Amino acid sequence: MVIPFIERLNLMDRIAFEDLGKQYGKQWALQGVNARFPEGEVVMVIGPNGSGKTTLIKCLLGLVKPTTGSMHVNGMPVSNDPAYRVSIGYMPQLAEFPRELTVDQLLRMMNDIRDAKTSDTDDRLIKLLNVEALLAKRVGTLSGGMRQRVSAVLAFRYRPNILVLDEPTAGLDPVSAAIVLDAVVRAKHEGATVLITSHIMEEVQRLGDRVAYLQDGHLRFSLPPGAITDVTGEAALATALPKYLAQLPQLHVESL
Amino acid sequence: MWKVYKYTLLDLARNRFAIGYALLLLLVTVGLFMLEADNTKALISLTQVVLALIPLLALVFTIIYFYNQYEFTVLLAVQPMRRQSIIRAQFMAVSTALLLSFLFGVGLPVFAYAPGPIAWTLLLTSAALTLVFCALGMLIAVRQRDRAKAVGIGLATWVFMVLVYDSLLLWLMFSFSDRPIEPVIVPLAALDPIDLARILIMLKIDLAALLGYTGAVYQQFFGSSGGMFVSLVALLLWIQVPAWAATRVFTRKDL
Amino acid sequence: MFRGALLLVLATCTGLVGASVCDVRPGHGSIRQALASTNGCDTIIIHGGTYNEGAITIDRAVVLLGQNWPVIDGGGAGEVLVVAAPHVTIQGLVVRGTLVSDMNDNAGIKCTSVSDVRIIGNRVESCFFGIYLSSVTRALVADNRVIGDSTADENRRANGIHLWKCSHVDVLRNTAEHHRDGIYLEFVTDSHVGNNTTAYNARYGLHFMFSHRDSYTHNLFHDNGAGVAVMFTHEVTMTDNRFEHNRGASSYGLLLKEINDAHIARNTFADNTVGVLMDGCNRATVSNNRFVANGWAVKLFANSTAAVFEGNSFSGNTFDMTTNGDLVLSTLRGNYWDRYRGYDLDRDGKGDVPHRPLSVFALVTERMPYAMVLSRSLMVNLLDQSERLVPTLTPATLQDTAPLLHPPQGPESRTIQRAELERGQRTAFPLSLCASLMALLSWWRFNGHSIH
Repeated sequence: MVIPFIERLNLMDRIAFEDLGKQYGKQWALQGVNARFPEGEVVMVIGPNGSGKTTLIKCLLGLVKPTTGSMHVNGMPVSNDPAYRVSIGYMPQLAEFPRELTVDQLLRMMNDIRDAKTSDTDDRLIKLLNVEALLAKRVGTLSGGMRQRVSAVLAFRYRPNILVLDEPTAGLDPVSAAIVLDAVVRAKHEGATVLITSHIMEEVQRLGDRVAYLQDGHLRFSLPPGAITDVTGEAALATALPKYLAQLPQLHVESL
Repeated sequence: MWKVYKYTLLDLARNRFAIGYALLLLLVTVGLFMLEADNTKALISLTQVVLALIPLLALVFTIIYFYNQYEFTVLLAVQPMRRQSIIRAQFMAVSTALLLSFLFGVGLPVFAYAPGPIAWTLLLTSAALTLVFCALGMLIAVRQRDRAKAVGIGLATWVFMVLVYDSLLLWLMFSFSDRPIEPVIVPLAALDPIDLARILIMLKIDLAALLGYTGAVYQQFFGSSGGMFVSLVALLLWIQVPAWAATRVFTRKDL
Repeated sequence: MFRGALLLVLATCTGLVGASVCDVRPGHGSIRQALASTNGCDTIIIHGGTYNEGAITIDRAVVLLGQNWPVIDGGGAGEVLVVAAPHVTIQGLVVRGTLVSDMNDNAGIKCTSVSDVRIIGNRVESCFFGIYLSSVTRALVADNRVIGDSTADENRRANGIHLWKCSHVDVLRNTAEHHRDGIYLEFVTDSHVGNNTTAYNARYGLHFMFSHRDSYTHNLFHDNGAGVAVMFTHEVTMTDNRFEHNRGASSYGLLLKEINDAHIARNTFADNTVGVLMDGCNRATVSNNRFVANGWAVKLFANSTAAVFEGNSFSGNTFDMTTNGDLVLSTLRGNYWDRYRGYDLDRDGKGDVPHRPLSVFALVTERMPYAMVLSRSLMVNLLDQSERLVPTLTPATLQDTAPLLHPPQGPESRTIQRAELERGQRTAFPLSLCASLMALLSWWRFNGHSIH
């Protein structure tokens, strides 16, 4: 269902990209991206490999300096001041931590960096993902899935109102994946905006309030999944998407 | 920054390469003192080994550690903290770890076997060299995306500074021996941090021979404490400039 | 009691049995009067105090004996004590107040054309020349402290103990400091210089020329401007001396020029720019000496022939041996070289492969002194190692055919501490420590301010 435009005016934009572009050498990884993501929305960022998903996320996280355009986070323009990142939680596709630290030390270190008191943190995921059992272990001894669980805990822990999850379920066991996705829904209801990259269309359709589709560095559209299925008459997003893309004019058609 | 420093150091304290580095140095140092009856002689041999070994190991260790930490560095960069705090903390943590390893592996036995001015000079210059090559390693690592390439560049840097540069200098002296190149030789040597450290140690060991020269530049340089001061300042620059450059590159780079 | 015994000894020594004694005190008579008295005053006891009598000439056989260090002050008029008669003994005086002059060799104690003189246990302070013997035969100069004016310019100083055209002189247990040359001998034959210490002299600790058949033993020469230089002499014996801390562009532990048939044994050469330089020396035997921590232990010029180096120990020197020619007509055998890397399979204590003490790098620095800046670099080490394996540049004849594997037990087993050699540089460490702390701090601040 399309959310009426009028309704959206009342909502604050958590994230706004204006003419965002990034050039690597001669190659534009991202070009002319304009988008606004309001509070309390789960945005599924999809697109083929090399379409600019990672670059877009990295721009938002401050890892990559945009070549053109600007970004606003929580209404404030993003500058060199790292303070805006207080409100961002990030779960990378592959998490690596100092191998010789214990999980407990790692959590404490993040607390220190964030200047967070233990009473302020959201420790629900520690219990739910059974990270408690890992606290005394060294990072170097953890499996990839265990590290992803720790990574998920860190992303949600400081009650960020923006969550960036890069393929969150890819490295997780099904149970943990479900728990993380539940946490996403919960965070959304608490007002957070969640950016998720994913290749799993069921996930996109089920979770997404909006699908942002990137191709060759351009944002082709940013629509609720329902809008796509409605237009194409297909029930499943996985089948609706190719049809919808085929209907789109080849270039410079972006929907907001 | 101190928070990252603290935990990075905690991580390094259990790092098996850092521990291996300390043990290797200990083995070399104690080995030299055991093989050589005359402790002063052993110390002089040690200075030569250390002057070659420290830059190599500091360089390679720093580069490899930086790459091993890369994903975590990215995670740190996403936190509300400045990039320069991150790299500064990492530089300081790695150099602290290397310095502690060095103090344990070389400092302890040296002061047990042969305390004295040469020991102090060795310790001080090697500490400075550790910082220099830690900074250079950082610079190489932040500029280079490929780990193998970075290690290659590191090795090439080491070979150049420890061997090639001196050979070039000697070649220069031979080629221009009929011209008054004497005044430029010392400043040229000072462009190589390993040479600088070596000269500082030489001022202790070979002073008798160094004072045998009539050249005004040499008299000025070696005859007073001025030589020591100039060398130290040059070494400090060798720490400052790469460290500053690494910070600059890192703060502007796309991770 | 003691005084009586001393007098008895002195009386016996001077051969004047039943000598008469007279006393001089400040305010009670003068030395001049006592010397001039005709009542056979053979021994003049000079009591503590200051005597300003100008130059005093001793023109008869007499014993001048100081009690409680009387000060004989020449008042800067010229000489102080002038011995002009044989059989004079001067003992226990403090002598000062010569005139510094370009014309006259003014001395604290001067003996000219006399014999059988004894100058014993005096303190000669801030004099131009200290003790000066000219054309003297049979003399004893012993236990004197001859200390020059350390503040004076080099050309306002002269020699501490100066001997010219003398023979059969013993110079024993003296200390000579802050003069031009500590001990100077020219045309002095059949004499002995032993157990003296000369230090901090502007030029040489010991300097002799044309002084044949002399021996120098158990002396200590250290921190002299140019060390020790000896020239144009044959049949010199130098044993058990120590030559230390003589550093500078033309400074030598021992400079030998045109010396024939010298015998140099059991000496220690430590921390000198050049330990021994041999220029035009023939048939020298250099044996059982220790060369420690010198810039160049031995510089052997090619014009020296038939020198024999045996049983010496070389350790911690920047260069053990250099020469300036291709042909070296000297013999090295059975020395200890700390750089020797050979082996001893037959276990006779001597290496089975010869040692070449002359390194390529030594040759390079001989040609280009500024190459010294590369000393102890990896490149230089590789260069020297490869030359050692395949000798191409160094003279083939300069080699020790039977190098010792262990240092010979020298007469002195005293090890020279590096710390001792590095005096005056102790401030370097705290200075450097502060500097490195500053480095860390400034890097910190520099970064803190550079971006924002």
